[in-house]
Amino acid sequence: MAEQQIPEHALARLAGLRRDGHPGGIFTSDFSVNEFLLVRKAGFEPIGLCVGSCIYHLGFQFAAWSANQELDVLSTAMYEARALAMERMRLEAAQMGADGIVGVRLTVKRLEWDSKILEFVAIGTGVVHAKGHQGFKGPNGQPFTSALSGQDFWTLLAAGYRPLEMVMGSCVYHVARRGPLATLGSVGQNVELTNFSLALYEAREIAMERMQTEAAQAGAEGVVGADLHEGSHNWSPHVIEFFAIGTAVLPIEGHEADDIPDPKLVLSVNS
Amino acid sequence: MGLFSKESIAPGKRAEHEARAAAWEDALARQSLPPFVVDRLQNAAIGKQPWVATMSPAELLLAKSHGVRPIATVSGTCWFHYGWSWTEGHEEGWHHALNRIRREAVACGANAIVDVRMRTLRHSFGPSMDFTLIGTAIRVEGLKPSPDPIVATVPALEFVRLLEMGIVPVGIAVGACYNWLGGGGFGYGSGGSLTQWQTGAFAGNQPLTELGDFWEGIRREAHASLRANAATMGNGVLAHTHFGEILKQDRDKQPPAYLGRHIVVGTVVDTPRGADVPHEIEPTIDMRDGLSPLKRTGEVRHAVYDTDSSEQEGSI
Repeated sequence: MAEQQIPEHALARLAGLRRDGHPGGIFTSDFSVNEFLLVRKAGFEPIGLCVGSCIYHLGFQFAAWSANQELDVLSTAMYEARALAMERMRLEAAQMGADGIVGVRLTVKRLEWDSKILEFVAIGTGVVHAKGHQGFKGPNGQPFTSALSGQDFWTLLAAGYRPLEMVMGSCVYHVARRGPLATLGSVGQNVELTNFSLALYEAREIAMERMQTEAAQAGAEGVVGADLHEGSHNWSPHVIEFFAIGTAVLPIEGHEADDIPDPKLVLSVNS
Repeated sequence: MGLFSKESIAPGKRAEHEARAAAWEDALARQSLPPFVVDRLQNAAIGKQPWVATMSPAELLLAKSHGVRPIATVSGTCWFHYGWSWTEGHEEGWHHALNRIRREAVACGANAIVDVRMRTLRHSFGPSMDFTLIGTAIRVEGLKPSPDPIVATVPALEFVRLLEMGIVPVGIAVGACYNWLGGGGFGYGSGGSLTQWQTGAFAGNQPLTELGDFWEGIRREAHASLRANAATMGNGVLAHTHFGEILKQDRDKQPPAYLGRHIVVGTVVDTPRGADVPHEIEPTIDMRDGLSPLKRTGEVRHAVYDTDSSEQEGSI
């Protein structure tokens, strides 16, 4: 293997010969060192951290004690708040001229002093193609968004796909309580609680359908890294949120499956 | 004499102890180092004393093959009392600690400090805490000692790899900002009333516009001050952690006031735009079941602001 050389500008800096900063262009990113290198290897440069947040007040909805039903007020709230945070993040990215956002993390934080207020934050690193290639933008010439880490971003491009946008679907569902007679009837028996099973199936299905519809609207071929989260944000025990999220992708034109090198199988012996 | 002698410290020892304490006090006041610390560091630099490194054997291997020599473990500590502002107190505390660790590195003729970790004790005496930085001072063969050694928060293994790729991790940048929405005597003055109305008992689904804009403003300012701080050192900030919170303060016959504070800390790098990454990347699949060194998650470099793992925040 060829001896790697430390470049001139790095040596000058180490000798303390050059200490000037670059007041013009500072990029900021929460990438780790490895992520930074891989994004560079993929042909992109980070230009700035993009953040969008939304502090949201959830409305109230009554659910019948014994009804399996979607709480659409909460579903809408949970979706709208996230969409607003994502949209603001994307706006920041567009303002700094980014081609896309890599490594988006979406978090929900409950504020201590009010259980009906949630803070939604979307954070990612805006990147541009180092050679100015414009073909990586998302739908409508907007920056693409992706939940992929720097490592996954490199791998996705190597697989011949490019990210379009993050797609999501939310469904907040009220799982019916069982009536006293039904409870009495199943004492001492092994039985499936079908209304519970049904509720979970239905809520998950609705969330998945919504995500898939979004992906179709974005013109995607598929969704990678899809994940389904179940959460109850301090709600009553019978209220569950199903949240589906993933990154919609499109094949890169002219990329053949033969271009992908076979991964090497290794066995680490130093554990 | 046993290790735990019942007698109080011998008179000679006591005098020595007092002399050392006086030397520390004097050094802190004059922004320099006590003579015995300078001696120890300089002896390590010329090989009269053994070198001390926080590196692992693997890191030592790579450092040696690239002409990087460890000299000594250096540190900088500042126990800081944040009187009038928590946020700006944190910013200032880190800056003091940075200056002090750099001073030790200069004393041992280093080119850089690698593997710098930010630490703090979980003791707090009132509104104060310690800001500590610990790292390994290194010398690059063939280079003169630097009057202004760089502070790299990456381990030696990554440091060398970064240098090869034209990326120099040069320091730590801190940006902080706080503000009041309503009350507090500063900031948004009589604000907060729209928020009170938007969170009332009959309020439906809605984004809290006033509070949201206020919060976004604070975050932007914290990031702007991070960038300004970084601009004096390099042209990029990587791997930053941030910590922010909004606190509510109820007030008599007035809408509640909100205090928002945000602090961002990151590693500054200096790198030409679009530099080449000379290494080839080879995809591999590890055949080991269970825990593998290739699959192990990296350790957290600093846990001072560990919001990502706080119990109030969920991943989605």
